[in-house]
Amino acid sequence: MQVYSFYIFDRHTECIYSKSWFTPPPPASSSLTSPSTSRPQSQQPAPHASSVTSPPVASLVVAPPSAAALKRSKQKKDDDAKLIFGTVFSLRNMVRKLGGEDDAFIAYRTGQYKLHYYETPTNLRFALLTEPGALSMRNVLHQIYINLWVEYVVKNPLSPVEHKGGEGVRNEMFEMGLDKFIRGLM
Amino acid sequence: MGVLALIVINKAGGLIYNRTFGDGLNQLNTNDYLVLAGTFHGVHAITARLDPRKGLTNAQFQQQQAAANGGVAIPSRPEPSSGLEVLESENFRLQCFNTLTGTKFLLFTDTMQANVDVAMRKVYDLYSDYVMKNPFYQLEMPIRCESFDRKLNSYIREVNNSR
Repeated sequence: MQVYSFYIFDRHTECIYSKSWFTPPPPASSSLTSPSTSRPQSQQPAPHASSVTSPPVASLVVAPPSAAALKRSKQKKDDDAKLIFGTVFSLRNMVRKLGGEDDAFIAYRTGQYKLHYYETPTNLRFALLTEPGALSMRNVLHQIYINLWVEYVVKNPLSPVEHKGGEGVRNEMFEMGLDKFIRGLM
Repeated sequence: MGVLALIVINKAGGLIYNRTFGDGLNQLNTNDYLVLAGTFHGVHAITARLDPRKGLTNAQFQQQQAAANGGVAIPSRPEPSSGLEVLESENFRLQCFNTLTGTKFLLFTDTMQANVDVAMRKVYDLYSDYVMKNPFYQLEMPIRCESFDRKLNSYIREVNNSR
């Protein structure tokens, strides 16, 4: 089973933790692509639109991602977290309206992925994105809450009560335990 | 109870049909149903955009497909994101069918109901036969077709009694 990503939202609707296990494969450079696209930039007769942003010299060595690119990917991640929060919040309210106050939203599935949801009585919200064929992960999210969140975040005497900006959640024990737990499922 | 309710939403997010078949769901007033339809329409659009794999470029997708097919590259393009299809809660299950023209059929069932796809298909058949072929029906407007109501009622009763 493939797990794509995991999010925690606090009661102030802020995303206090997010992690992605899905890494897109490196850009195609094999013979599958047409030869014209894999031609080295230095052989191109005229300066291309793409070579304006990155000089041809830099394209030959493996350059680390630029600050702008990093900022853009962080922005995208933040936007995704906000969209996910909005979605689960709306669906949870819809479910409670139709199914009664004691009803709980568990999961939704699209053709491409499945989102599992778990909410604690203190309005801490966990969301896990997996492949669409996955079975119910409700107990998994519950285990993450009991065995990782409570043990390593709540019981940490140095951790603040409110986790503004993810403070107190990004500790070594929690992150390591979460990574190990999720990789054990895959 | 098997099938609990049917809601039809037009391509602009407006509620055009709403019927409950059992008492498994809370009764809402018309205004709440309209809000629900609009909310669902928006959420459906967002869920289609949230696809975690959508970052793949076409070339990368081809490569992945080739790897999955044992190194043979079969030209194809990625499936377009479908948006929400099934929603599960503790008390009910919601199946959404989005037609090619953007009309959404939401079928609320209990969590044990099997073969919802078949029921959905039949509801869509009834819709095409008794709503779309009705010369007095105006597109995108609320569905007020007596024969559709009748056929739908008898079909859902059949489904709910067969269990």
